[in-house]
Amino acid sequence: MAKPKIAIFDFACCEGCQLQIVNLEEEILSLLGGADVVEWREAMSEKSDEYDIAIIEGSITRMEDEERLKVIRGKAKVLIALGACAVIGGINKLKNNFDDLEEVKKCVYGKAAGKPHLHTGPTKAVGEVVQVDFSVPGCPIDGKEFTYIVRSLLMGKTPEIPEYPVCVECKANGNPCLWQYDQVCLGPIIRAGCGARCPSNGFRCFGCRGYVDKPNVDAAKDVINRFGLNIDDLKTKMVLFGSRQEPTIYE
Amino acid sequence: MTVKKIAKSDFTSFVDALIRTEKTIGVQAKGDRFDFAPLESAKDLRLDYDVTLQPPKKYFLPPSEVLLTFEVGGPYQSQLDGQKFILLGVHPYDMVAINQMDELFQQDNCDVHYVTRRQNATIIACDVAKPSDHVFASSMGTAVVKKGYDILLTDIGDSFVAEAATPKGEQLLAKAKGVKADAQALKKREDVWARNKKSLNKHELKCDPAYLPKLLAKAYKHPVWEEKAKTCFSCGSCNQVCPTCYCFNVQDDVNWDLKTGQRVREWDGCLLDGFTKVAPAHEFRKARADRFRHRLYRKGAYVPQKIGGQIACVGCGRCVGACLPDIANPVSIYNRLIDDLGIG
Repeated sequence: MAKPKIAIFDFACCEGCQLQIVNLEEEILSLLGGADVVEWREAMSEKSDEYDIAIIEGSITRMEDEERLKVIRGKAKVLIALGACAVIGGINKLKNNFDDLEEVKKCVYGKAAGKPHLHTGPTKAVGEVVQVDFSVPGCPIDGKEFTYIVRSLLMGKTPEIPEYPVCVECKANGNPCLWQYDQVCLGPIIRAGCGARCPSNGFRCFGCRGYVDKPNVDAAKDVINRFGLNIDDLKTKMVLFGSRQEPTIYE
Repeated sequence: MTVKKIAKSDFTSFVDALIRTEKTIGVQAKGDRFDFAPLESAKDLRLDYDVTLQPPKKYFLPPSEVLLTFEVGGPYQSQLDGQKFILLGVHPYDMVAINQMDELFQQDNCDVHYVTRRQNATIIACDVAKPSDHVFASSMGTAVVKKGYDILLTDIGDSFVAEAATPKGEQLLAKAKGVKADAQALKKREDVWARNKKSLNKHELKCDPAYLPKLLAKAYKHPVWEEKAKTCFSCGSCNQVCPTCYCFNVQDDVNWDLKTGQRVREWDGCLLDGFTKVAPAHEFRKARADRFRHRLYRKGAYVPQKIGGQIACVGCGRCVGACLPDIANPVSIYNRLIDDLGIG
């Protein structure tokens, strides 16, 4: 049986998730043993139009990127969204909170704002443009979770990523709850799978893996009240990765 | 069996001797809280702790463990953890929880992974010196314990009373410098037991715990489940810190050769979304309130049926402290049911 062909593509992102794949070092060789990587801009110069599995990093912010992504989807049998930008829109969706995107562009790029390659619209997650078969959440992705998902697919198995929130892994690690130390941690509403890396190192959960399928908004409001906070205290913590997670419509 | 009185300074040398001979896990400070962790020096041991963040369960049933390695279509090999260790500072309520798990894991298909770790363990229990904020062991009849440990320690001020309960415990205790406990020391120990039977009771259950299965038999449709579950995150924190929750999930993972792999067992929790998902995608306890109710029924009705009526909540109070919306407290739920449904 021929090895499946994998191609890795990047869109609007910092390319840090691809870097996590590069950082796998020895495991990359194993990956190459099980699959043919035919295109991967960050790590090789070859290109190819033939691939079975397309891995998409980054979010979609330009019309031409939408078109490019649709072409990739048309060629790939399986499409994987890689990292927070691709899976939920990530930090790039911060700008969707503003009504005037021209103003946002000027604020970010200054004099260069008028250049044609910066002509962007509201940010979309990959799944808002094309069908996504599997997601690797996180900012950046967890290398172990990525390799597990790829191995599962090579085996023809459906990979299982946690449906439950970060608290599960945080408690299993024996951490005290950061809420009891005055941190507004997003752990109770954010998908686990990171091993509760941030709270285990004393930082609140920033929410990079996106919400669980059924976050309990009533519970969040109740806890905010119990801790004498107001809803904006929570919202300001959710804005970094949680902005506009519903589908984004171009005007 | 031997009952010794060991001066605190001699006890420190005893613990250092234990650390030198065998892997020793003891209660230590973790920030302003406490937890079990490998002990490097007796001076780190904190037997004056109130409660640990995690129960000692993880040393018998780790959060994640490889059960076996396999080759697709070929042979498999069970993976057993053969390392001997001493677990030092287990409170009575946690000891009761371990005793219950010992029964459960040996029932039906005996769980060789659990049993192997348990057999490799020497448990030195210790009576509670300082009640935690949410302990209700007095209500659950678990404030003192009479079995399961190899040695039981009781702090009586300037010294410990140490009683060996097994040949293993006897052998270890022989290494400790001390004298045979006199009547005065034993009296002090009785006083600690009498005190703890009353004082480990920050939440007071309004009935004898033995009544809980009968209470729950008439509470299945009570509104409390919906009411509480409204603000439940389904985060499973109550499950994760519970000394008697033992549900797990098993997954296979393959290596890069796509031929060999390992079967991994991980903690699961009945509060979690997806806990009851079965192949291909049927979920038989989908509603948050149903999962919320299930935990209280496990503790008060279902598990007791498997272990001769013992209630599977030992009153450690960890879930009470771990639940952000403060809905997990079993005592407040059981008491509410007693108020509404009466006793008898």
